[in-house]
Amino acid sequence: MAVFLQSLISGILIGGVYALIGIGLTLIFGVMRVINFAHGDILMVGMYLTYLIFTLLGIDPFVSVLITFPLMFLFGGFLQKVFINRVLDALAQNQILLTIGLGLIMSNTVMLIFTSDYKILTTSYSSATIKVGGGVSVSTPLLISFLITAAITAALYWFLLKTDTGQAIRATAQDRDAAQLMGINVKRMSIIAFGLGAALAGTAGALISPTYYIFPQVGSVFTLKAFVITVLGGMGSVVGATLGGVLIGITESMSAVYISSGWKDVVVFVLFLLVLLFKPSGLMGKSRT
Amino acid sequence: MNKRVLKGSVILLLLAGLLLIPRFVESPYALHMMILLFLSVAQGQSWNILGGYAGQHSVGHAAYFGVGAYMTMMLMHSKGIAPWVGVWAGMAAVVVVALIIGSICFRLRGPYFVLASIAVAEIMRLSAINLTTLTNGAEGILATELPAFKIGATVVTDFVTKVPFYYIGLFLVVLTLGVTYWVQHSKLGYYFQAIREDQDAAHSLGINIALYKNIGLVLSAVLTSLAGSFYGIYVGFVDPPTVLGLDVSVQIMLICIIGGMGTLWGPVLGSLILVPLSEALRSNLVTDLLVKSGAVSAESRLGLFLKENLSHAHVLLYGILVVLVILFMPDGLMGFVKKLAMRRKREAV
Repeated sequence: MAVFLQSLISGILIGGVYALIGIGLTLIFGVMRVINFAHGDILMVGMYLTYLIFTLLGIDPFVSVLITFPLMFLFGGFLQKVFINRVLDALAQNQILLTIGLGLIMSNTVMLIFTSDYKILTTSYSSATIKVGGGVSVSTPLLISFLITAAITAALYWFLLKTDTGQAIRATAQDRDAAQLMGINVKRMSIIAFGLGAALAGTAGALISPTYYIFPQVGSVFTLKAFVITVLGGMGSVVGATLGGVLIGITESMSAVYISSGWKDVVVFVLFLLVLLFKPSGLMGKSRT
Repeated sequence: MNKRVLKGSVILLLLAGLLLIPRFVESPYALHMMILLFLSVAQGQSWNILGGYAGQHSVGHAAYFGVGAYMTMMLMHSKGIAPWVGVWAGMAAVVVVALIIGSICFRLRGPYFVLASIAVAEIMRLSAINLTTLTNGAEGILATELPAFKIGATVVTDFVTKVPFYYIGLFLVVLTLGVTYWVQHSKLGYYFQAIREDQDAAHSLGINIALYKNIGLVLSAVLTSLAGSFYGIYVGFVDPPTVLGLDVSVQIMLICIIGGMGTLWGPVLGSLILVPLSEALRSNLVTDLLVKSGAVSAESRLGLFLKENLSHAHVLLYGILVVLVILFMPDGLMGFVKKLAMRRKREAV
């Protein structure tokens, strides 16, 4: 039972970070109908940014989120304005290819600068744990990152539901043309949405940097995970992505314990295929053709 | 002389020239380049059948390439089965994989199909890493000793030089081009194109969409697996990232995108651009040229940096090429050339 509880808790904790990645992707998809294949690479850029800030300025990764978030927002806005914006009306495969290309450029540029060596960001609490009782303990960096994730997610919900800009973004996601007719600056909303998506991915990268290896190709794993999460939750649904993230986190940690850590990603992908087969609209998605 | 005869004779002449090359060219490096070119054309052309003609853009073709390569290498390494026998096992395995994938993925459209194809390729890659008893895991399989190829008692070739590989590669090119030509001019090809242009309209005209998509997939997958087997025995080494990684899928697709999807010569054009470019970067040719021309001194920090890193940069180049092509010539080079020709024609009128 302790083992079960243990893996459930660590699944939920890592699931929080996954939710952040998934929400970013789903936000971009919702507003622009573009599937961002560079999402994991944006996360990777966030990791390296955090690593740089940590090694050069000595700022703790959890504090430097305050710097990473706005920087990644600008980066995302730039990507949208310069590249993505040009293919909004193009064929789906061209959009996909463009983002794949952008991802390759990011990961290989980072490789040229930092080489492909694994980097480790060691903080004083990297391997610290907190005992909860009943033989269950929680990794300190995971717990902190979960709390930050929860705060960011709450803030994001507030932003989307209560502010004018948030409502404009949701309106654009619901019906681009109608939103434009209502006088919403759809182009600006797209930039904000892509910026937010990138900022969320970058933040997720920052939050996992104390516990993950940092290397240029780390992104592709997360790109795939982000798809699984958003498809599971329903493309374009923020609530779905939150749920999906936590579910995938739990699935992963459970299958690592009860099957083997080598196969945990396979379990996730099989689950993904099953969802595509039996409920392609996802948990929270409206069925769309 | 009509245009068709002219075209045919040019192609025959070209083929004759290619057949004769190993008689006059002895440099192993030149032959190696040609073999890489052949491999790339075969890969691109195989993808083209499904992606270009039937419009199903798979980003998971590494699955078929890798399974073909692995099957042949595993059988040769552990059972001593000759690759020209193992190749059939590879193709059979790929047909099974393709039909499973097809029955799952072809219920899905557009982005969902792309996502599913990636997921399947990733499952294959992770399985190759984890099934250590079969695949030797992440270490990969090394098998450079090829048995001599005999017909009866006469040894046709013992695979010591690159020449036999050259001819196998050339055969693959002719085969894939031939199949594509046949697809293009057969009823099958018209069905594919109807599905590509408008799936619902094709369906309402009575075309069995699932059936034809699966035929396209199996055809494309079998040819890709042949290319994979060829790669395996030529290089003598396979491991999960080099034959099953996402990079492989992207690279295969890229050949067609740059050259032009859904055209017979697009993948050839794409390979003619991609292979020399990435080889030039990989072999430090660019750095050497820059140093020789005096633009960069060999001892300067920039020179050392380039020498150290530019060889890894060929994937970066892929990325830049994809972005440029999608933004500026979404129909690939063939489409671009055709558009130019059309414009000229219109102006002439």
